[in-house]
Amino acid sequence: MNQVKDNIIVRIAGAAGDGIASAGEVFGRICARSGLHVMAYNAYQSAIRGGHVWLQLNVGSRKTLSHGEAPEVAILLNRTSPALHIPMMKKGGVVFYNSSQIQEDLSKMRDDVTCYGIPFKEIFTEAGVEAVMANTFLIGCVVGLLGLDANIGLEFIRDRFKKKGEQVIALNNRVFQGGIDWVKKNAKPMEVHLKGDGKRRMFLTGNHAFGMGLLAHGLKFYAAYPMSPSTGVLHYLATKARSHKLVIKQTEDEIAAVNFIIGAAHAGVRTATATSGGGFSLMVEGVGLAGMMEEPIVIINVQRGGPSTGIPTKQEQGDLNMIIGASQGDFPRIVLAPKDTEDAFYTAGRALNLAEKYQTPVLILSDLFLSEHFQTCDAFERLLPIERGKLIDHTEGGYKRFLITEDGVSPRLVPGAPKGMYCSPSDEHDEVGNVISDVLAGLPESLDIRNKMHPKRMKKLDMARREDIKLPTLTGPKNAELTLLGWGSTYDAIEEACEYLRQEGIETNHIHFTDVYPLPNEAVREMLESCKEIVAVENNFSSQFTRLLRAETGFDVKRMVNRFDGEPFTGEDIFNRVKKELAYV
Amino acid sequence: MSEMKDFNSATHPDWCPGCGDFGLLAAMKMAFAGLGLNPHEVMTVSGIGCSSNLPGFINTYGMHTLHGRALPIAQGFKLSNHKMNIVAVGGDGDGYGIGVGHLVHAMRRNVDMTYLVMNNSIYGLTTGQTSPTSGFGMKTKSTPFGNPEVPLNPLTLALGSGCGFVARAYTGHTKRLVEIIQAAIKHQGFALVDTFSPCVTFNLINTHQYFKDNVKDINQEGHDTTDLAAAWKQASREDVITTGIFYQKVRSCYEETEEDTLAEPLMSHKLGITSEQTQKLCAEFI
Ligand SMILES: Cc1ncc(C[n+]2csc(CCOP(=O)(O)OP(=O)(O)O)c2C)c(N)n1
Ligand code: SF4
Ligand SMILES: [Mg+2]
Repeated sequence: MNQVKDNIIVRIAGAAGDGIASAGEVFGRICARSGLHVMAYNAYQSAIRGGHVWLQLNVGSRKTLSHGEAPEVAILLNRTSPALHIPMMKKGGVVFYNSSQIQEDLSKMRDDVTCYGIPFKEIFTEAGVEAVMANTFLIGCVVGLLGLDANIGLEFIRDRFKKKGEQVIALNNRVFQGGIDWVKKNAKPMEVHLKGDGKRRMFLTGNHAFGMGLLAHGLKFYAAYPMSPSTGVLHYLATKARSHKLVIKQTEDEIAAVNFIIGAAHAGVRTATATSGGGFSLMVEGVGLAGMMEEPIVIINVQRGGPSTGIPTKQEQGDLNMIIGASQGDFPRIVLAPKDTEDAFYTAGRALNLAEKYQTPVLILSDLFLSEHFQTCDAFERLLPIERGKLIDHTEGGYKRFLITEDGVSPRLVPGAPKGMYCSPSDEHDEVGNVISDVLAGLPESLDIRNKMHPKRMKKLDMARREDIKLPTLTGPKNAELTLLGWGSTYDAIEEACEYLRQEGIETNHIHFTDVYPLPNEAVREMLESCKEIVAVENNFSSQFTRLLRAETGFDVKRMVNRFDGEPFTGEDIFNRVKKELAYV
Repeated sequence: MSEMKDFNSATHPDWCPGCGDFGLLAAMKMAFAGLGLNPHEVMTVSGIGCSSNLPGFINTYGMHTLHGRALPIAQGFKLSNHKMNIVAVGGDGDGYGIGVGHLVHAMRRNVDMTYLVMNNSIYGLTTGQTSPTSGFGMKTKSTPFGNPEVPLNPLTLALGSGCGFVARAYTGHTKRLVEIIQAAIKHQGFALVDTFSPCVTFNLINTHQYFKDNVKDINQEGHDTTDLAAAWKQASREDVITTGIFYQKVRSCYEETEEDTLAEPLMSHKLGITSEQTQKLCAEFI
């Protein structure tokens, strides 16, 4: 590893309420505007004031694939931070803190880490400077240390405080510039070569991308009940309700949310909801209803650590079993697990299309990491075409809502057409919608209807496998001696682990699933059979995806790496765990 | 324009002969025809129960959904196509038991729709267990020694939840029931009509004869329907079983708060955004 170092890991730590998220966003956006790549992760104990919080940003000239492990630069904002974070610093690391607030001498804590305590109150004595502006000053210090373009930072601050007037802008700019100047005078420059590519990138979370992806692809109605870590989608869309003419409804609970969107879907409106495991549990009966009544709904389930309330502000990929099996009986469902922020945007659009094409629930599996971590992403330029499937708004009569067709999908009439009256039931029914349970129960006719209607719905899965489900991606050398297998949000971290393994001389490739159900079983089996040694990497206890693979393809992945302590994987972490699993070294 | 027979469905109701629900079904058809509604302009939504089978027995658009979930589905539909008339129907178990949370919030939210509850104080479809409106001490299959809980009063629940139209009728009194349904449909906002709809098979206490002998229409004695306190008093009377329109107050309905968005029904909005809009959305994160 003697290339030029082109990335740096920066951590900002303090108490909830110290403005860490905001400081991280400012720093991240300055980097993103500088044409750099950033992957950030927020570790918090409680979202409200008081708990300890830290945010870590991995900034690089090339795409950074995880938030990294040991920080190289840190901004510490409260008195409990030094004892927690200085021991974790990488050798040669640099710490900035406001010594007007943290009065202890930190220089003794480690002799291989440089700690700069800067008395902010003494440097900035002018009127109007408030204590929170120390954050801006410390960000200035880091921007200076890393040799980033000061003008981009000044421009960003200008944009951010646009509404507050020239005086506030000028003051903040002076404080920010003060940080840059202080570092120039007092600190040793950092040995890192960060060079942007001239692109001004977005810096956003998966939840932002989901919200924007839904909005950009025809969403009109969104209902949800707040639950971390899914609430960001609701917050984002709520701000767009007026400008984009959306109905955004916070309902009394998740049962209401899913049923509201079923009503909206029935009316011919593109609709979605998002929740986390507990909320999804409440929606389960509605998922089956949408399957039976053939309603196009999209549900984003943002996983967090379970079971029950579990570790609500922590990461896990533990809901796959539930999602695959949710609701009684058999009905077709499509399950998608996007791999990163950009994929979240397109998956949202694709889910709306697939829901209408197949007239059945499409479930998106996100997780706390994907939904809440900030990542740089090129601005979205391409939108998916909006495809509404067999939606019709007119009939001359004789309409059958559940007409048996070759592909299992029936023409879907928007209610309100003069000659089309029909009733959609949750009971098994014939092509018209007459229920078989009461009037016909037990008669041979009802068996006949059941024997036709059940396969009619299930047939949709065959078409989905044929036409829409994407095979897993394979990255890295074809016949590698080692294959890491993953699904959903672990994509980047596994890619990073592959790099480390290759650097150690272990030829590694990566098979990654984003479309997790239904699986194109034969093709997947072939792909897996051609691998020499597979290790499945899952952010859960019981290797839920591995189990699904076994059930669907008969292929048994034997080696696994599991992380279930609530933290997302990093490349380094996977690298270490895989080596242990294989007992290399 | 329409006639009552336009609302006849090809499916004959499978209710027990004499079931009170026949009365509501007939009254709905008369009310719709009387208001000049056409079958395609009405969406009938129900949950699960004997009473909730109704959408299959009437020729309108219909959804026969999950036990207790008619209201969220109906509201989601209405907000997506507010030009249609939405009538939710169901039983006392459906609306006052498993679905009561949705009912309270629907009344606060005030989406413009009508909710007709066929209240038989029993779970009919599941063959006769106690319901939220079964009387104290009533013996049912699940309470063989008598119901130990007091019944819920749907009218005072509605009055306390901000419902702008609160009424009750007996399904055997067709003419009055039709008038009340029409008033409920015309009311701008959420309207609750609780109907006594006897289950002739599993509730041998609250029978047709019982209601014929005991109900009293409060509107015939000059009740002031704008007086909330008077409505509460009439709704809680124990000397007789009161029916009629207890309370009516028009306040702005939910759709009006979304006036700009809902100038056109949501289902007829053009979908998708322009590339300028996409750029603008992205720029917020740069
Ligand atoms: C989630 C769920 N729980 C239980 C049932 C079983 N169930 C069907 S109808 C019903 C009660 C019906 O009572 P009510 O709503 O008063 O209707 P009625 O049959 O009396 O008209 C129950 C408990 C169900 N269908 N779904
Ligand atoms: S069981 Fe009771 S409620 Fe059900 S149809 Fe028969 S009479 Fe009506
Ligand atoms: Mg009942």
